[in-house]
Amino acid sequence: MASIFAAAFEIVSFGAIIVLVVLGLGIIASMMGIFNFAQGEFVLLGAYVTYLAYSGGLPIWVGMVAAPFVVGALGFVLEALIIRRFYAAPIVAMLGTYALGLIIRESVRGLIGGFYLTVPEPIGGSIDLGSIHISAWRFTIIVITLLVMGACYLLLSRTSFGLRVRATLENPSLARASGISTPLIYGTTFAFGAALAGLAGALIVPVFSLFADLGIRFLIQGFVAVMVGGVGSFIGPVAGAGVIGTLSAALPWVMSPVVADVLVFVLAIAFIKFRPQGLISGKGV
Amino acid sequence: MGAAEQAVARLSEGPVVVTGEGVSAESAPAGQASAGRRVLPIVEALVLLIALVLPLVLQDYLTVFATRVIILALFAISFDLVWGYAGIMSFGQALFFGAAGYGVALLARDLNVTSIFLILPAGTLIGLTASLLLGGFLLLGRYPSSVIFVSLGTLTGSYAADRLARGWYYLGGQNGIPSIPSMSLGSYDFEEGTTFYYLALGILVVVYLLCRFLVRSQFGLALAGLRENEQRIAFFGYKAQHLKAIIFAIGGTIAGLAGSLYAFHEGFVWPNMLGVVFSTQVVLYVLFGGSGTLIGAVIGTVIIEGVSFWLSDNYRDVWPIILGVLLLLVIMFRPLGLISFVLGERERVGSFGIRPREKRDAAP
Repeated sequence: MASIFAAAFEIVSFGAIIVLVVLGLGIIASMMGIFNFAQGEFVLLGAYVTYLAYSGGLPIWVGMVAAPFVVGALGFVLEALIIRRFYAAPIVAMLGTYALGLIIRESVRGLIGGFYLTVPEPIGGSIDLGSIHISAWRFTIIVITLLVMGACYLLLSRTSFGLRVRATLENPSLARASGISTPLIYGTTFAFGAALAGLAGALIVPVFSLFADLGIRFLIQGFVAVMVGGVGSFIGPVAGAGVIGTLSAALPWVMSPVVADVLVFVLAIAFIKFRPQGLISGKGV
Repeated sequence: MGAAEQAVARLSEGPVVVTGEGVSAESAPAGQASAGRRVLPIVEALVLLIALVLPLVLQDYLTVFATRVIILALFAISFDLVWGYAGIMSFGQALFFGAAGYGVALLARDLNVTSIFLILPAGTLIGLTASLLLGGFLLLGRYPSSVIFVSLGTLTGSYAADRLARGWYYLGGQNGIPSIPSMSLGSYDFEEGTTFYYLALGILVVVYLLCRFLVRSQFGLALAGLRENEQRIAFFGYKAQHLKAIIFAIGGTIAGLAGSLYAFHEGFVWPNMLGVVFSTQVVLYVLFGGSGTLIGAVIGTVIIEGVSFWLSDNYRDVWPIILGVLLLLVIMFRPLGLISFVLGERERVGSFGIRPREKRDAAP
């Protein structure tokens, strides 16, 4: 019983991490139609900012709070300078953001070297439930993921900003005609997606430690999750991330990890082939 | 993509362009006007000439490096066919390259097959089979697949193969398969060096000429239309998805050939050959040199590999950053790559099929 519970916790906590990483990716893909190959590097930057704060002697949580703002600001600048040119052509956008990601990743690699740098958990120790011990930090990640998910949903569905974002997604020219500044909305949405990636990086760095390929590790999983969930809504990618994250954490318990790893991808691609609109189709929130 | 839109405009002049008659009508004035400034054959001849004399002036270790570049150029051509000519973003081209490499490495290790007449066909066949399977799955079907799906599907395929190779003990895991014996012809062994260089160069030239014929044929014209406006090509009655699957398989075949040469040249295969690293590397070559021209792919490979070899001693850490910046600049300001500095748009798009010259003479 205890081991089943421990396994379930592992699975849920990994699922939460994937959801956290995919949130920003999904918002940019759904609300702007861009598959951002630099998203993994935004995660990496978030982790790096946290590490910088920690190595500079500040409390870790300061870095974690700062990371989304720093990465979000960078995202806003990059959107205005570079990403803006790519809206017309999604494939060119992929290549451009890939180049951007390459620059960020290699710069960080140059800064940290080929090392694995560890950042301690701000909330250490474990939570004991009878005979079961679960990591307090991983539990915190699950809670924060749920909170962030709820906040994003409310932001997009209940606020006037969310309404503008969705209006811009559905019909840019009508949105412009109604007085919405679509370039500003695109910039803000991209910055918001980047900030979420930065937050994800900051939260997961104690679990995975900091290394230059941290972002790449999640990028392809994230893309697959977005496609499985369905591009065009907020809920779709989140649902996809839940499914992919749970599967990739659960399958290794019943089969060899290598086979499980590949099987998840094969299943996902086959699923998208036969249901291109994804788990949850349709526009909206 | 201003230039691409121009090409769309050219094609959108209607069915006139797509029929054989239309081509001659269209290209006759162009041929006269540009008779004095056909740059492409000059560039091609120049590159070939340099490639031919190179081993005579290079030191041995540089010849080995040049051979590697030649093989990678072959790989780049395979990607260029798929992306530059048919507009399919194959982000996982290394899957075919690496699968063929692993396949022939296993043949050599377990069955002691090293004869060139078995190895190269086997590698080519592996590339063909793999690309037919993957391309058939991703591209064919009742509904046309979106470009995003195809690019992510190929990327995922390559990534999954990489993970599989890393974790599978039979394939050597992280270390790959080391010390593959040399490729042989009868009792002669192809060691790295001048002979291998000319072998690779010969194969590259043959493949290049075949591809050149292919993309300048009526099939190539249909592909160009596919790249510019898939829907319109479908309305003309072409089976757009079949065309895509065919060119994807041809690209995979060439990648397989390149992969088997690469495996025997390097003497070992390792998981990166299958994965995202090589897949994106080849994208860089082609975008940098100029997609949509075969020679652009070759030039891009030579420049990127050459500069990276030259810089790797002193500026190893900075080079990937420079590469990223250059790539970003090329994508933003020179979407047709470096070759577009010397090659005009008209010549890049070119003419298709055999020009019915006698008909033109008879007309007046």
